[in-house]
Parts: sequence; structure tokens; C-alpha cells
Amino acid sequence: MAILRTLLGAAAMAVAGTLPLQAQQLTVWHDLGDNGIKWFEAMSAEFAKSKPGVTVKSLSFPTDQWFGRVIGALNTDTAPDLIYNNYERVIRIQDQTGKVSDMKDVLAKVTDKGFLGEDDIKVATYKGKQIIIPIQRVQMGFGVRKSWLDKVGEKFPETWDDAKRVANKFRDSDPDGNGKADTFGFGLQAAKPRDLIHMLDLFLFGSGIRNTLIDPAGTIMVDEPAHAAVLEEFLKTYTSYKFVAPDTINHSFPEMYQGIEGGRAGMFRVGDWNVKKWDGEKVLGGDFLVGPWPKMPGAAQNYVVIGGMRGVGVPENAPNKALAQEFAAFMLSKAAQQASLENVGAAVRKDLDVAALSPRSQYFAKAEARLIAYDFPESIHTFYPELEAAYHKKLMSGIANPPADWKPFITETAKEMRDLAAKLKAK
Amino acid sequence: MIETLDVVWRHRIFYLFVLPFAVLTILFGLWPILLSIQVSFTASATALRPNPTYVGFANYLVVLSDPAFLASLTKTFLYTALSVVANLAFALGVAVLLDSALLTRGNLFFRLAIFLPVVTPDVAGYVVWRWLFDRSFGAINAMLEMIGAPAFAGLTSARTAMASLLIAELWHHAGFYMIIFLANLSMRDKALEEAAHVDGATAWQRWRYVILPQLKPALIINTVYALIQFLKTFTVVVVMTKGGPNEATNFVSYYAYQLFDQGRYGEATAMATILFAIVILISLTFYRIADREVAA
Repeated sequence: MAILRTLLGAAAMAVAGTLPLQAQQLTVWHDLGDNGIKWFEAMSAEFAKSKPGVTVKSLSFPTDQWFGRVIGALNTDTAPDLIYNNYERVIRIQDQTGKVSDMKDVLAKVTDKGFLGEDDIKVATYKGKQIIIPIQRVQMGFGVRKSWLDKVGEKFPETWDDAKRVANKFRDSDPDGNGKADTFGFGLQAAKPRDLIHMLDLFLFGSGIRNTLIDPAGTIMVDEPAHAAVLEEFLKTYTSYKFVAPDTINHSFPEMYQGIEGGRAGMFRVGDWNVKKWDGEKVLGGDFLVGPWPKMPGAAQNYVVIGGMRGVGVPENAPNKALAQEFAAFMLSKAAQQASLENVGAAVRKDLDVAALSPRSQYFAKAEARLIAYDFPESIHTFYPELEAAYHKKLMSGIANPPADWKPFITETAKEMRDLAAKLKAK
Repeated sequence: MIETLDVVWRHRIFYLFVLPFAVLTILFGLWPILLSIQVSFTASATALRPNPTYVGFANYLVVLSDPAFLASLTKTFLYTALSVVANLAFALGVAVLLDSALLTRGNLFFRLAIFLPVVTPDVAGYVVWRWLFDRSFGAINAMLEMIGAPAFAGLTSARTAMASLLIAELWHHAGFYMIIFLANLSMRDKALEEAAHVDGATAWQRWRYVILPQLKPALIINTVYALIQFLKTFTVVVVMTKGGPNEATNFVSYYAYQLFDQGRYGEATAMATILFAIVILISLTFYRIADREVAA
């Protein structure tokens, strides 16, 4: 009988051994589009090497929809296993749901993480909770159409005076050679609060100024002399300088990209994630140079701007929370980071192979330019989005009806912002 | 009670067929509206949680004391008034023209040409209008330049942006109103016009005192529908101006949408509920008054 039992047990074990492990699927929601989906597919294949039977399925939503879906899912216990986006967007998810888990312990267990600096962790932390594991630094440089520069006999503009001279030539000297006056110096945007303020962020941080509107102590910085000087030039770019298309006042991201990719704007923002697409033959075909933002008068140095951090978070009510945390930690591994660089154009590790990348992608991947980081006011002042919306409204009123002298306008704006910040703080 | 049940039982086949549509209407029509109203009484930060914090009318007080909302409401009313008049006047004019003997040739072509924009996807249509109005490469300014006329600021100036949206929406909606007017015109009693003609009424008098009173049903339907449509104006703003320039086209629907974008769900739904109440109130009031006049 004992022999029979042993034989049956052995047979059962043998049969069990031939069966595949129970398949498990992790779901991640992001807004990175097709390149992001390819990246998660590559990571899924790599992750499965150490976790057979586990697959990672990623779904990409337009950013607006991503917000609604994630908030709704987390609040109704139908959350995905992982959420992926910029830190400030995950902050909003945490504010609306309170259900983004603390990743401190997960990161603590990762041994190979020397490439993450103190600032990276600071950005990922909100109200004492680490809401994301930082995966990709967002770098934004200044791009200029190379063939247009050649046509007008200019070099990559280093200073704001250079940029203004080039902008005038791009507008007036038919740099695309089509015989029509249909080109502009800059491709910018203005319509929504984030559109205009984001552009201002780049001009300010690119010149070494540390805050766009409010400092960590809650002081409004708009009329501080160096700040006001950049702000005035920025506002003139939209108005009296005539460096942008007149319709820019109604332009948001899609229209700005149409202007850049459609060959109407000669100078523009280049995000590390833009390069792969713009290197493509049917877009800009690599016909652009990337460098730091132009140095404004009085600025000591100019920079490429680090516009935040994209990272992965795990909802408290994720269906496979433990496995999701394992995958989140895996996203810092060299293989996952290499896939990130190749598919999305950004990473946080500094030991990746960049040889196969284009010179423009390498510019970001090597991170050798002077870098300066955003001030991340959303993580300090919870009322910041409302303050920023009011600031946008005020600047738009100036752009729509430009004053003869911008200085009193800037002083008045600063006062209004101080009053509003005090009111919002007291709420 | 028993009588009611008896009636229901006698008409059971009717109720059986109606039931799926009634369920769908409640599920996808009424339920979201009720949920939205519920959210308007909650604190934004907790609005979408299973157990939100209720704040009474606080969101309504915030919205009603917001000067930007009041300005937005004024703009919405102005735009609605202008759009209703422009659309109905244009549609009526075209309908009368198409109904007359003046346009017997090519009548079908013109009807189709004016109705086609109604079935065109609105986003696609407005994207084209945005290009037409573009200051740097738009066809409208190219034509003006060709004839030596001054440039039209279109969507780039606060002074002309509302008019530009009105033109684009007129193109999109007028065909629908025209069809309603044409249907009403075809049903009118032409003998009355002949009698008035025999009695010596002029063309204007026949139009004013004989034809126009017979068009009241179409006028009422079109006005109520247009009021509802233009009070809720949204898509054209999203595609063409995003509420700008300088808030010139920041109508209530779009303003509420912007607040959603900032996570201010309580205030946004309060705004939407106020707009909903205004739409219902204006439409019902107009319908009641007009209906009473028709009956009289």
C-alpha cells in the first residue's frame, strides 16, 4: 500500500511538473502612447525571465482620460496594478483618492540605485509618502532647425540676443525657401494654464531662476528684478516682438506640435521623448540641433531644464500588489532602463549603452549638459494649481491687450498673486 | 391600485416594448445627471470617493461669488442670444428662398449643400474653420488680402473671437433649422395666401400676416432647440479657442470643464448644475409662453 501511495505521489508530482505555472498578468495604465506600449512589452519579456508566467499588459490613455480613469478606478476598487506618469499627476491622484501606496520600503530593498539623487527622491515624495519610484528624468532643451540656421547664416543661439536676431531672420528671410512669408521664430503655446506657464518655466529655469511663481516659503517671486526681466522678454515674444504665429494665443500642445512638425516654427522646446519621433524621416528627419535654453541678460549661466520625473506607483488596492511592487523595483534594472531609453528616450540610470542613439538622443541620454530642475511647487503648496490658473489668466490678459510698458503690469500681477496666495493659504 | 394594475396588464405589450428604452433612459440619461448633482454637494478632494464629505451649498456659494463665473455666464447669454437670432433668421431666409419659385432649378443641390454640415462631424468641421480663420495662412485672410481689405483678426482677438465661433456654428447648425422650417412651409395652407392676394394684400403683408403665423410651430421648436444648443456651447470652444483669447469665449460649459481639469469637481458640477437649471428654466418658460400664444 505504501509503495502504491509513493508511486501515486510521484506520478502526481510528475504530472504537476509538466503543467505550466499559473499565468499572472499585471496591468499598467500610462499616457506614453505607442512608444510606451512597446517599452512595457520589452520589459514584460525581460521580467518573465525571472518570473515565468507573468505578463505585463500596458494601456495608454490620453492624459486627460488617464486622470479620470485612474481616479475612478482607485476610488471604486477596480484599480490597475500599476500607474505610470509624471510626479505632479500622481500627486493629484493621491489628493483625489488617498490610495497611492508608499514605495519607500520597495525602494529600500533595491540594492542597485546609486544613480538616484536626493532631488529625485524628493520629487517622488509627497506629504511624507513616496508615491512613485523615479524611472525617467524629463529633460527639455532648446531646439533649432539646422537647415534654417544654415540658410540665414547663423549658429545655434547661445544668448537671448542671439535668439532674437535668429527669430527675426526666421520670420523675415524665408528660411524654408518656399517663397512665402509663412515661418516664425518660435513655436510656443498659450491657451491653457499649463501651456503658457510651462513655456515660461523653460525660459526662467533655462536662465537659472529657481521659481516660476512662488518659492517654497510661499513668497511670490514674479517681480523680483531678474525674474521680472525674463518675464518681460517672454511676454514680448508673444506680442511686440512678433516672434510667434498670431494664433498662438489659442494654441495648446497639439497646435504647437503642428507648427513645429509642419515647418512653421524655427525654435522650440525639445523634450527627450520628442527626439525619437522628430528624428523620423516623415517628421523633422533629424533636421534640428539641441542645446541649453538661451542665456537671458544678467543670467550667469544657461541650462537644459529637468522638468520633473516620471515614475511608477502602485495603488493600495492593486489586485496583485506584491507582484506589482516587484515589477516597479525591476523597472530600475539595467535591462528595463535600457528599454526605456530606446523606446521612450529617457531613463534615470547613467550606465546605459547610448551608442545606437542619434546625436540628439545622446545629448539627453548622456545628461552632459548643464542641468537645472523645476521647483515642483505642487508638492509643497496644495493650492498651486488654482494660483497658477489665476496667473495664467492675468498673463493672458496682458498678451491679449499688451500694455505700452510691461513693468507696471508685472508689479500689479505680483500684487494680485500675493493677495490670492494669502487667500488660498487661509482656506 | 387594482385599476392601475389592470390598465398596465391590458397594455402589457406596450409596456413590454417600452421597458428596455425606459431602463436605458434612466440608466444613461437620468442617473448621470443625479450623480452629477450629488457631486456638486461634496468637497472636491473627496468627491469621487465612496464616502465623500458633504458640504451643503458651499460649492454653489463659491461659484456664484466668483466674478469669472458671472462674466462667463454673461458671455454665454450674449452668445446664445446672438446665435439663436442669427441661426433662425438665416435658416428661415434660406428656407423661404428654397420654398419659393425663385429657386426651382438646383433646389435639391442647395438643400443638400446647406444640410450637409449638420451631418459632418463637428470636430472635423471646426478644425477646418480654425484653419480658415488662421491669421498667418488662413483662406479668409488670404482672400481679404487679395481684394485689398484689412485683415480679419478672427480667433486671435477678444473683439472678434465670439463672432468667429458664431459663424462656424451657423455653418454647422443652420441646415437643421432650415429643414424644420421647410417642413412647416410645405404644410401651410396656400389657399389663405391666394385669398389674401385676391383681397389686395401686398407680398410683405402676405408674408407677415398669413405665412409667418403659420410658421409658429417651427419657430417654437427651433427656438427651444437652439436655446438649449447654444447655452451648452462647448465643442466649438474646445477646438477653436479653448476659452480665449483672454476669456472672450470662456462659456459656462468650458469653464466647468476647466475646473474639472484642476480637480475642482465640486465647483465644476455645481456650475454644470446651475447651467442645467438655467437651460431647463429658459426652455420651459419660452415653450409655455409660445405654446399659449399658438393655442390662443
